[in-house]
Amino acid sequence: MMPALPKDMVALAIKTGASARAELKAPPRFKAGDKVVARNINPATHTRLPRYIRGKQGVVQSNRGGFVFADTRAHGLGDQPQHVYSVRFEAHALWGADAAPHDAVYIDLWESYIEPASER
Amino acid sequence: MDEHSHTEPPSAPALRIKALESLLVEKGLVDPGAVEEIIDQFEKRIGPRNGAKVVAHAWADPAYKKRLLEDGSKAIAELGFTGLQGEDMVILENTPTVHNVVVCTLCSCYPWPTLGLPPNWYKAAPYRARIVLEPRKVLAEFGLDVPADVEVRVWDSNAEIRYMVLPMRPAGTDGWSEEKLAELVTRDTMIGTQVPETQA
Amino acid sequence: MNGIHDLGGMQGFGPVVREKNEPVFHADWERHVFAMLNLTMAAGQYNVDEVRHSIERMPPAEYLTSPYYEHWLYGAENLLDRKGVVTRAELAQRIAELTRKGQT
Repeated sequence: MMPALPKDMVALAIKTGASARAELKAPPRFKAGDKVVARNINPATHTRLPRYIRGKQGVVQSNRGGFVFADTRAHGLGDQPQHVYSVRFEAHALWGADAAPHDAVYIDLWESYIEPASER
Repeated sequence: MDEHSHTEPPSAPALRIKALESLLVEKGLVDPGAVEEIIDQFEKRIGPRNGAKVVAHAWADPAYKKRLLEDGSKAIAELGFTGLQGEDMVILENTPTVHNVVVCTLCSCYPWPTLGLPPNWYKAAPYRARIVLEPRKVLAEFGLDVPADVEVRVWDSNAEIRYMVLPMRPAGTDGWSEEKLAELVTRDTMIGTQVPETQA
Repeated sequence: MNGIHDLGGMQGFGPVVREKNEPVFHADWERHVFAMLNLTMAAGQYNVDEVRHSIERMPPAEYLTSPYYEHWLYGAENLLDRKGVVTRAELAQRIAELTRKGQT
């Protein structure tokens, strides 16, 4: 706990911010091109995995790098950094066959939010 | 939950924040001068004119555009825009075949250093609920009709990466100065709910 | 949590309503809520994830019908009380004092 941020430090604090990036030793589990499915988790605690993505299948676009984990930080359980992936979900995978054929949602998923998709 | 919530409604927000701020100041947790300064920064200084400069520079300088798309935070920092809620930026390029639009379905995450604070519509339920579900209908409400053969990509800023759209440079702007180009770049064109007006 | 904040895909909210020439802040209390939340975070009272979760626990009807910065105010009040930094009792007492002095 720090004392109050003084007036003359405000501009610098804004310009510096507080990046959520974190170093991690563990190698990434996924890579660009991997087919993944978002896990069906329903914690009563904080999560950044929205319901409309859970259980849906998408394709990893890239590894964004390591970031502190919101789900644990919200409850004083530490940074617990994980790899975060940009994942693309086709509109029809999210919303059904009536969805626009060419549209997609992109979302950033911590590694523990996804599993490899089973072979179909 | 407010222990009085079953007997009387909570006080008006103005009274609550006045009370809370006075207590925080007394406890040495908030500096009143800092309150004025941070309000001033975000009300008067930090806003979408920053992002417009980034876009105009990318339009005018292909090498800068390349850097911007490779590492958004680093390239934006070249122009001096860094920090709070923009520490990790990814820039999304609109092309003739791809139209990008940004949302935070879970709350209101938004790239403050380049766009300032978000408008109410971005933070409210209709946009957050519908843009991922039916982006073309929502964009049509903004007056933007995306052709069927153009792919719409909706980016949900659910983690700590912050997104900004690099709109396509409008026709009829050859030879324009960066200052003049920047005037075409409105906040909504960098969210992706609108496109800059053609000048041809 | 499966809270009201998790809005992606919901229907029935009607059109996106935009305000012409919308100001950054609509009232002075919004300015001060904005400042208070950011400054208390900068002072290490809580992190952004704790704040978001605190807001998520707002009663759904209130979340949907209150102005945006009231979410921040609710979130901060609850966190500060849970952490014992500013209790509900202290806050209620100060509100009562301000009301008596006519400083509402």
